Amino acid sequence: MNLYDISSVEVGEHFYWTIGDFQVHGQVLINSWIVIGILIAMAVLTTRDLKAVPEGGQNFIEYVLEFIRDLTKTQIGEAEYRNWVPFVGTMFLFIFVSNWSGALIPWRIIELPNGELGAPTNDINTTAGLALLTSLAYFYGGLNKRGLGYFSKYIQPTPILLPINILEDFTKPLSLSFRLFGNILADELVVGVLISLVPLVIPIPLMFLGLFTSGIQALIFATLSAAYIGEAMEGH
Amino acid sequence: MGISLSNFSLGEGIGINTDILDTNIINLTVVIGVLVYVGGDVLSSLLTNRKEMILKTLQDADDRYKEAEQKIADAKEQLELAKVKAEEIRAQSKASAALGTTNLLNRVEEDIKRLEETKQTTIRLEEEKAVAQVCQQVSRLALDQAVEKLKTSLDSNVQRRIIDLNIALLGNLAKN
Repeated sequence: MNLYDISSVEVGEHFYWTIGDFQVHGQVLINSWIVIGILIAMAVLTTRDLKAVPEGGQNFIEYVLEFIRDLTKTQIGEAEYRNWVPFVGTMFLFIFVSNWSGALIPWRIIELPNGELGAPTNDINTTAGLALLTSLAYFYGGLNKRGLGYFSKYIQPTPILLPINILEDFTKPLSLSFRLFGNILADELVVGVLISLVPLVIPIPLMFLGLFTSGIQALIFATLSAAYIGEAMEGH
Repeated sequence: MGISLSNFSLGEGIGINTDILDTNIINLTVVIGVLVYVGGDVLSSLLTNRKEMILKTLQDADDRYKEAEQKIADAKEQLELAKVKAEEIRAQSKASAALGTTNLLNRVEEDIKRLEETKQTTIRLEEEKAVAQVCQQVSRLALDQAVEKLKTSLDSNVQRRIIDLNIALLGNLAKN
């Protein structure tokens, strides 16, 4: 019985939907929609009745916005950060709410035929998508700000570094996506395994650790995105 | 197994797990409880601080606004005062200017009068002097002529007649 429970911890099982020729991971989409719904609901609810002196929800959302703005400002710089607050904020909030929803909502109550519900960020596709968006964003930022002169950074400080500089464009999204994916998946797996071994009390510290890691990962992802954008836009 | 579900079978196989241990409900409750208890406190104090700071900032701005308004009112008052003073000074200076003008005119008139007097006096003096001079001249000429006449026509006969005449005159004088 116990052995069977342990062996039922599945990795890599997905709840597939077929859309046209594509197979998509349905549980990730469902969770993403839920996260998006939470974020939109929060945005709408907290900004419905704006006051000069913020109360309750408005105060909270303003605090969050200030946090994101400061983060973006420190990474991109005073002059340009304003346009990038929405992007960095979206990244941070989506990842943060995803991670925490995976850690706090008892998804196991709902049984899917295959796979299980969890944080959308525990799927490499989500994190890779986010990382590629970051890549697009910093390319756009660099080209928009500096035109074709942007490509001169590939041969700086010396043309010998050209291959490494090109490689960097691939390693950046790779490291971003794998870091986030690995952390969240590992956290969920550790908690999952521990639950099947010792169902009570013992997983609690790990769950807190997971919450902490989740928050940190969201922060890291947003900070790095902003840093890459800032780096692409600043002249050498 | 079940690699590709068709589009229309989304609901198929979705169930509810009622196993309390397996669904991790108890642990999650504890975690959420602690999170709400601790995090809620932290968050609410954070938000309260933020709100207080905003209120303080608004209050400060309000105070500064009031202060500025007060200053404007003060400045306006000062301006009014200065205007009144300026008006006063202007009137004063006008009055003093008028006074000065009349004074000056009076003095000039006096001067003119004095000068006129001086002129009249001078003219009179000169006249008198001229008259005196003319008299002197005339009397000297008469004397000269008399002396001349005497020199040419004086002889003992005439002398005697003159002396007689004078004696007679003196005698008449003595009689009277």
